[in-house]
Amino acid sequence: MSLITSLTKRQPTTTSSGPVRDIREKDGRLAFWLVVPSLIVLTIVIAFPVVWSFVRSLYGDGIGATPFVGGDNYANALWGNGSAEFWDAARFTYFFTAVSVVLEVLIGVGMALVANRAFRGRGLLRASVLVPWAIPTAVAAVLWKWAFDPNGIVNAVTGWDLIWTGAEGPSTVAIIVADVWKTAPFVALLVLAGLQIIPEDVYEAARLDGATAWQQFVRITLPLVRPALLVAILFRLLDALRMYDLPAIMTGGANGTTTLSVLVVQSSLSQLKPGYGGALATLTFLLIFITAFLFVRMLNVNAVEQAGVRTPRKKDSE
Amino acid sequence: MRRTQRIAMVAAGTAAVLALASCSSDASGDADPSDGSPAAEDAEGVGPITFASGKDLTGAMPQLIEMWNEMHPEQEVTFLELSASPDDQRTSFVQDFQAQSGNYDVVWGDVVWTSEFAARGWLEPLDAEAVAGDDILPAAIESATYDGQVWAAPFMTNAALLFYRSDLIDTPPTTWAELREDCAIAEENDMQCYAGQFAQYEGLTVNAAEAITSAGGSFLSEDGTSVAVDSPEAREGLQNLVDMFDEGQIDPAAITFQEQESANAFLDGSTLFLRNWPYVYTAASEEGSEIAGKFDMTVLPGIDGPGSSSLGGINLGVSAFSENKQTAKDWVEWMQSDEAQRVLVSVMNQASVRTDLYTDPEMVEVSPYLPNLQESLMNAVPRPRTPNYNAVSLAIQQNAYAALQGDVSVDEAITNMAADLELAIAE
Repeated sequence: MSLITSLTKRQPTTTSSGPVRDIREKDGRLAFWLVVPSLIVLTIVIAFPVVWSFVRSLYGDGIGATPFVGGDNYANALWGNGSAEFWDAARFTYFFTAVSVVLEVLIGVGMALVANRAFRGRGLLRASVLVPWAIPTAVAAVLWKWAFDPNGIVNAVTGWDLIWTGAEGPSTVAIIVADVWKTAPFVALLVLAGLQIIPEDVYEAARLDGATAWQQFVRITLPLVRPALLVAILFRLLDALRMYDLPAIMTGGANGTTTLSVLVVQSSLSQLKPGYGGALATLTFLLIFITAFLFVRMLNVNAVEQAGVRTPRKKDSE
Repeated sequence: MRRTQRIAMVAAGTAAVLALASCSSDASGDADPSDGSPAAEDAEGVGPITFASGKDLTGAMPQLIEMWNEMHPEQEVTFLELSASPDDQRTSFVQDFQAQSGNYDVVWGDVVWTSEFAARGWLEPLDAEAVAGDDILPAAIESATYDGQVWAAPFMTNAALLFYRSDLIDTPPTTWAELREDCAIAEENDMQCYAGQFAQYEGLTVNAAEAITSAGGSFLSEDGTSVAVDSPEAREGLQNLVDMFDEGQIDPAAITFQEQESANAFLDGSTLFLRNWPYVYTAASEEGSEIAGKFDMTVLPGIDGPGSSSLGGINLGVSAFSENKQTAKDWVEWMQSDEAQRVLVSVMNQASVRTDLYTDPEMVEVSPYLPNLQESLMNAVPRPRTPNYNAVSLAIQQNAYAALQGDVSVDEAITNMAADLELAIAE
C-alpha cells in the first residue's frame, strides 16, 4: 500500500510564496487567452446549433407556416403519435449500448493484458489491434454489411444459411458484432496506457507475498487501471448512445434497429420536419446527458483527474 | 458575376437581341417561346444558370450541356453534380431552397419530390403547353402536376420490367398465378424463382405499390387528401407477396435486397424472374454476362392480366429563387426536345419522356426493351402524389415490411397502414 501511495506523489506540492503566485497568475491569464479561440469556435459550432435546434423544436412543421407550438413536438414524441417510434428507438439504443459496451470492455481488457506482456512481435500485435479502430465507422459498416450478406463471408465460414439483416435478432447481433470489432481496440488502447504505468515492482512484491495471478489481477491491476477503464467506458457509453452509422448503413434502421440518432435524421431530413426532429434531438441529448451524469456520479469518475493528474486534496485524504 | 452580366445585357439590349436571334436559329424542333417577342422583355431573367443534378452515372450529361452551351453562349448552363444518393441530393436541394439562395437555378428531382417542392413554394410554375404537350408521356406529365398546375419538366422516365430466363421459359407469365406456377421450373433447375426489392427502403414502397395497384388497390385518393388503402384489392395485392414469401417463391434473401443485390441474383444465373428497372438490360447483355442471350423482358404480372408498374424518373424543376428564370425555362424545354432526348436514349440508355421515340426504329435498335417499356409505362401508376411523400412512403414501407416478415397479418398491416397514412397526410 505504501508503494501505491508513493506512486501518486508525482506532483511536488508548491508552497504559496510570492514569486510563485505571480508566475501562476501570469500562467492563468495566458491560459485564458489561449483558450478563448477554442471557446469561440466551440460556441459557434456546438452551442449555436444546439440552441437553435432547441428553439426550432418549439415551432411546428407545416408547409409554408411554422407556428409556435411550445411543447407539442415533445409531447408528440413522448406520448403522442410518435411515442411508439421514440421509445422503440430509445429501447434499442440502450440495449445496443449495454451489450456492446460490456463486450467491448471484456474483450478490450483482455487484449490490453495480452498486449502488455513482453513477447516477440508485441509491437506488431499492438499495431494490428488498432487497425479496426483506424477504419472510419461508415467504411466498417459497409464491410460488415457485405460480410453479413446472405452470400457473405459470415455464412460461408459458419456454414449457416442465415439472412442476417432480414430479421430483428440477427440484425441486432450483426450491428453489435460490427461495433465491438471496431471499438474494443479503443478500450484496449486506453486500458493498455493505464497498465503501462503500473510498475513491475508492485507485482514482484505481491508475488513474494504469495499472491496468485487472479489475486494480483483483482487487487493490483484492476484498482490501478480503474481510472483509465472508467474513462474508456464513459467515452464508449457516449459514443454508443449516439450510434448512427452502423444501423443506418447495415439495415437502414429496419428490423427494429432504429437508434435515436437514426430517428432524428429520418425526421429532420427525410421527412422535412425540423421542428419535430429538433425535439427528438433535444430529447436524445438529454437522455445521453443524464446517462453520462449518472455514470460519473455513481462511479465517481473524474475524467481529468483520472487521466493521471491527482489533485492535492485527494492526496491529503489518503 | 452573374449579376453584372445580367445588368450588362439589360443595358445593351442589342446584345440580347443577337443572343436570342442566334439561339432561335439554332434550336431545332422545339419552338423557342422567346421567339418574336420584344428583346427588352426577354432580357429579364436571361443569363447563365446552374443545373444541380444527382450523380450522372452515364457520364453523358456534360454532352447535353455542351450542346446547349454552344448554341447559347450568353446563357451558359453550369453542371453541378451532387451525390449519387437520392436522399443526399434531396437534402442539398432542400437546404438551398430553405436558404432561398437561388444557387441552383434548375434542380433535377425524383418524380415523387415534385409535389412537395411545389407545395412549399420552391418551384416556379411552368407553362403546360411548353413542357407537357401531347408528345410527352401522360404518366410523366401527371408526376409533374400538382394542384392542377405543371411544376416541372419531365425529363427521363422509368417503369419496371419483368426480366425472365428465356432459355427456361417459353411463354412469359402475365399474371401472378402463372408466374407462381412457373416456379416449378426454378425448382427443377435448383434456382430461386422471383426476386424484387424488399429491404425496408424506397424500393419496397415501389414493389408494394406495384403489388397493390396491380390488384386494383391504391394508397391515397386522386387528389392525395384522403386515404384509400383500406380495401379488399389492396389486401389481395399484399397477400400475394406475403404468400410468395411464405412458400419460398420469392427468394428469402430478397428481404434484404435493394436494386443492385436483386440484379446480381439474376445476373449470376441463380434466379428465374427479376423485377427491376430497364438498366439491368445493359449489364445482362454485356459480353461475359452469365445470362447473355438467355433472358428476355416483359411487363409485370398482375392479378387478371398484366400488372402496373410504379413510375420512376426524373423531372426538371426551375427554382422559385432563380435569377435567370427565363433561361432556366428555355433550357428545361430544350432538354425535352427531340434532339436532347435522342442523346438521352442512345448515349445515356435512359427512357425518354417523348412518346414518339419508343417506336423509332433507330432507338429500338439501340435499346430493344423500348416496346416493352412503353407498354409498362402506359400502365404505370405514379406513387402517391402528396407534399408529405416521405412520410407516406415510410408508412407504406414499414407496414408492408412487417407483413412480409410475418410479424403482423396482412389484414392488420393494411389497417395499420391506413392509420399511419392518415397521420402522414394530416400535416
